[in-house]
Amino acid sequence: MVRFGRIPLARKNLTHDYWRLAVAVGGIGFAVMLMFMQMGFRNALFDSTVKVIDELNADLIIVNRSQFALPAPQRFSIQRLVQARECPGVSGAYPLYVEGFLSTLRRPRQKAYAIRVLAFEVNDPVFRSTAIRQAMPRLKPPNTALIDSHSKPKYGIPVHDPERLSKQSIELSGRRVQFVGLFEMGADFANDGNVIMSAQNFARYFPYRGRGADPLSIVDLGIVRLTPHADVQEVQQHLENLLPDDVRVFTKQGFRQAEMGFWRTSTPIGYIFGVGLALGFVVGVIICYQIIFTSVSAHMPEFATLKAMGYRDRYFIALVVCESLYLSILGFIPGLLASWGLYTLLARWTGLLMILTLPRASLVYGFTLAMCMTSGCLAMRKVLSADPAELF
Amino acid sequence: MSQTVSLPATSSRLALTDVKTPNIQSRGLNFYFGDGELRKQVLFDNNLDVMPGEIVIMTGPSGSGKTTLLTLIGGLRTAKEGSLKVLKQEMVGASAQQLVRLRRQMGFIFQAHNLFESLTAFQNVKMALELFDFSQQEMRTRITETLTRLGLGHRIHYKPDSLSGGQRQRVAIARGLVHKPKLILADEPTAALDEKSGREVVTIFQELAREEGCTILIVTHDNRILDVADRIVNMVDGRIKSNVYVQESAKVCEFLQKCDFLRDLTPRTLVEVADKMFREDFSSGDTIIRQGDPGDKFYLIRKGSVEIEATRNGETKIVAVLGEGDFFGEMALLTDAPRNATVRAKEQTVLYALGKADFLSVIEQSPTFEQELRKSIFERQ
Ligand SMILES: Nc1ncnc2c1ncn2[C@@H]1O[C@H](COP(=O)(O)OP(=O)(O)O)[C@@H](O)[C@H]1O
Ligand SMILES: [Mg+2]
Repeated sequence: MVRFGRIPLARKNLTHDYWRLAVAVGGIGFAVMLMFMQMGFRNALFDSTVKVIDELNADLIIVNRSQFALPAPQRFSIQRLVQARECPGVSGAYPLYVEGFLSTLRRPRQKAYAIRVLAFEVNDPVFRSTAIRQAMPRLKPPNTALIDSHSKPKYGIPVHDPERLSKQSIELSGRRVQFVGLFEMGADFANDGNVIMSAQNFARYFPYRGRGADPLSIVDLGIVRLTPHADVQEVQQHLENLLPDDVRVFTKQGFRQAEMGFWRTSTPIGYIFGVGLALGFVVGVIICYQIIFTSVSAHMPEFATLKAMGYRDRYFIALVVCESLYLSILGFIPGLLASWGLYTLLARWTGLLMILTLPRASLVYGFTLAMCMTSGCLAMRKVLSADPAELF
Repeated sequence: MSQTVSLPATSSRLALTDVKTPNIQSRGLNFYFGDGELRKQVLFDNNLDVMPGEIVIMTGPSGSGKTTLLTLIGGLRTAKEGSLKVLKQEMVGASAQQLVRLRRQMGFIFQAHNLFESLTAFQNVKMALELFDFSQQEMRTRITETLTRLGLGHRIHYKPDSLSGGQRQRVAIARGLVHKPKLILADEPTAALDEKSGREVVTIFQELAREEGCTILIVTHDNRILDVADRIVNMVDGRIKSNVYVQESAKVCEFLQKCDFLRDLTPRTLVEVADKMFREDFSSGDTIIRQGDPGDKFYLIRKGSVEIEATRNGETKIVAVLGEGDFFGEMALLTDAPRNATVRAKEQTVLYALGKADFLSVIEQSPTFEQELRKSIFERQ
């Protein structure tokens, strides 16, 4: 495309007018940011909802068969876990209790906000987080809990000040609670914050869960650990056969995907952000087309002169493709930096997981490139229409 | 043998015509804009020969088709009727590929400079060379040479916005010349320039034509630069109204003026007479006029010599030998009598002939003319 020693006309034409270039880069950067934001929110939805699954120290997960998404819990009897422990290859099956409806957090004389409470038998290796494991002994006294330091600021918990945190008087579902440590999880679209406590404390806070029976006899998730070298698929199959039909057994990855799949396909949310992304793309194409078209229109007599001199169409095609490529790179970089800044800010304000990974950045660059190339192709007609016969 | 080419006598340089092939040759060229109902003919039966090394200036009222003819010659449009050969390539019916290839051997200079403002003078000129396989070193040498020659040696790395109008146009000219084209097409190249810059530009054209043997075609209304033209082509309403090789025309006028009875004509009338003359070629021994035939033309000997043989009272003898610059054949036209002698070419001879009607109309323009002529005829007898 660009032969050595050739005059880099595409680059020269783009960079000649710094002001125009700055506007162009700003415009494309804006479109890039739009796409990053839409994608960021979409991914935040998915990432945040499955964050709790990622944090689980599970090889397999047992859930109620009719469970379709984490925020809409279906529970099952702890009996299933007792049965699961009998299965060959299983080294342990531990209950995880989740309460997202009855649980509210309130500072004295303040409004109460719903918060998700996760509970486990202290000493069960249910979580991967070392912070949680180390805090286990502190969870044994009554009315103690850990608070998610990424919970939304609205709870007013001084998560960054351990001194004040221990003294702060707070009620969880109408009962005093003392936060004895922190962990990191983050909000998602259904939950604004998280609390972790021992099963014994959980039973105190939510005694009605069992509808009269032992509140701890009804489990939300079963965390299954396997013996070393056990085959995950094999044990999963085995457990499915062994356990009654009211529960299902997932691998951790499978469960994660099922959860994401629910949000992606069964709710309009994924679709809405898809439309947002497409809008960003279209806006980008329009901005980019304007820029390339103006740049081309401003040079029509010059292009026509080149044609008269004997330059062929493919030169102009390469020229426009080159300009599109440069614009996509020049616009993407500031767009990426701005998005990164916004992600960080939004993550702080909303507690949502706004993660900028290389594959996601590459995907957005792919969109940006496609955007600039589309505009380039639209503007191409204009260049190719330059008629040297009109020059005289 | 009398040649049937009907190009005007003064439309080419005598010495060159037979030697070289023209760089531009058009025959019966017609051109139309639009199709069907809206079809509008703008060029009518254009015949034109331009030799290597010639500078041609095309003039004529605006809308007369000069630019159209230029774009046809430059391969920027294609005609469908007639024939147009440019640098030996037939343009009528040529493929787009052939046209592009041909255009690379031409230099285009437009009224506007059309330089990329993002490129320096050097880079703008280099765009013309990058179409060819020159080494970077060679390109640099050529560009520097061309720009220096155009008086821009000290402005090589300036961008157009820091050059004056004349300098910009000279950069554009450098771009049109740097690849040493065989044919340069320029439309109003001096229109945007002041007198001095315009002068410089045409001087460069002249040098190029002289040194590189390059053909230069300039469309212009600028009569300040007429003096560089070897040929002036005048177009009116899509037709080539006159096409005059300036030196040849001057020569013919000089000859015509040597005749006693033409001496008093104004240069303008002389040029008109010269314009209407057609060239005829004869080999040694060819009969040009036969005694007793009706008279239809007046002849001027441009080159060679003829003998006049009269038969009087049954006796045939050579009465005169005429050479370059002499004329004959006028008597039969004036007196409406048959030819009174036979004229034969003594060697390879070029004659410029004037048809009877044209001859008589010229004479009517000048009352003294006929008088002079009669006197001269009287004295000859
Ligand atoms: N692109 C075109 N389409 C239709 N008619 C044209 C076009 N260009 C020129 N003409 C017509 O052709 C005629 C000759 O134009 P042109 O060659 O530009 O004349 P000149 O250069 O002598 O002023 C004019 O009558 C003009 O209106
Ligand atoms: Mg014109």
